[in-house]
Amino acid sequence: MRAVYLANYFVAGCIAFSLLGWIASLHPITFRAVLCLIAATAIIWCLSWLLDFSLSSALKISVRDLQAYLIAAGAMFLVGLGVYLCT
Amino acid sequence: MHLKLFVLSASSLMLWLAPLTALDKTLDIHKALQGASLTAAIACAVTAGNIARLQAEQNEIEEIKTRAITADVVDEIATSAYISQQQRQQEAEQILNPREHLERSLALTYDEDERSELSVQNQLAEPEQNGSENGESERTERIHQLQAKGWGKAKIILEIWGVTKGGSPKYKAAEAEYKRLIEGEERERER
Repeated sequence: MRAVYLANYFVAGCIAFSLLGWIASLHPITFRAVLCLIAATAIIWCLSWLLDFSLSSALKISVRDLQAYLIAAGAMFLVGLGVYLCT
Repeated sequence: MHLKLFVLSASSLMLWLAPLTALDKTLDIHKALQGASLTAAIACAVTAGNIARLQAEQNEIEEIKTRAITADVVDEIATSAYISQQQRQQEAEQILNPREHLERSLALTYDEDERSELSVQNQLAEPEQNGSENGESERTERIHQLQAKGWGKAKIILEIWGVTKGGSPKYKAAEAEYKRLIEGEERERER
């Protein structure tokens, strides 16, 4: 059951990134806004990988859990935008 | 609950993939439908995730309860087995050697009484000599044998002189002789 709820949250994240892609396709301004948002997210994601130990102690979670969340977020981004762009 | 979870999960996937593949992105109405279906898909996936999380937490609690009950049962069985083993051991000891057990307990009882009355007996005791040295040596030897068995003084006096413990002159005389024999033996050893 734990795998089911993790899978559902993962699917929700993927759909959210697809929705982000759909918003970006509405207008050039929204495209730029989404691009900025994705760039900021990418920077935060990279910084989180660099500062994983200090972040894990600040968030009171283990380093392994933090790395799992970061990997899951990257996979959600790739799957969500991939599905939107390939369909 | 499981059916609801399954339906929500399946509908989130369908609402995510079907409009994106089936509808045209260039048409405005299709694009609007895609946006709505994606939003609905997110709602379905999050709801399904929440339901599954609650179910997982309940399952964990049930597992913890089961483990606690199992541990209690195991502990109870182990305790009862330990107690029954102790009982069996005690019963076996009593069955195997009842006479020795009785003798030890009697000797202990007499020793306790003797310690309290020892000072009084020392004052009252008077030395009495036995004419027969052979008899004395036999008695001394018998005393040592009984002491080696763990017998107390009162019981030894009862065995050798046939006098029961009390304040009678016969018992006092027997006790004095008993002490004299033991002290004489010790003096001989010192020499």
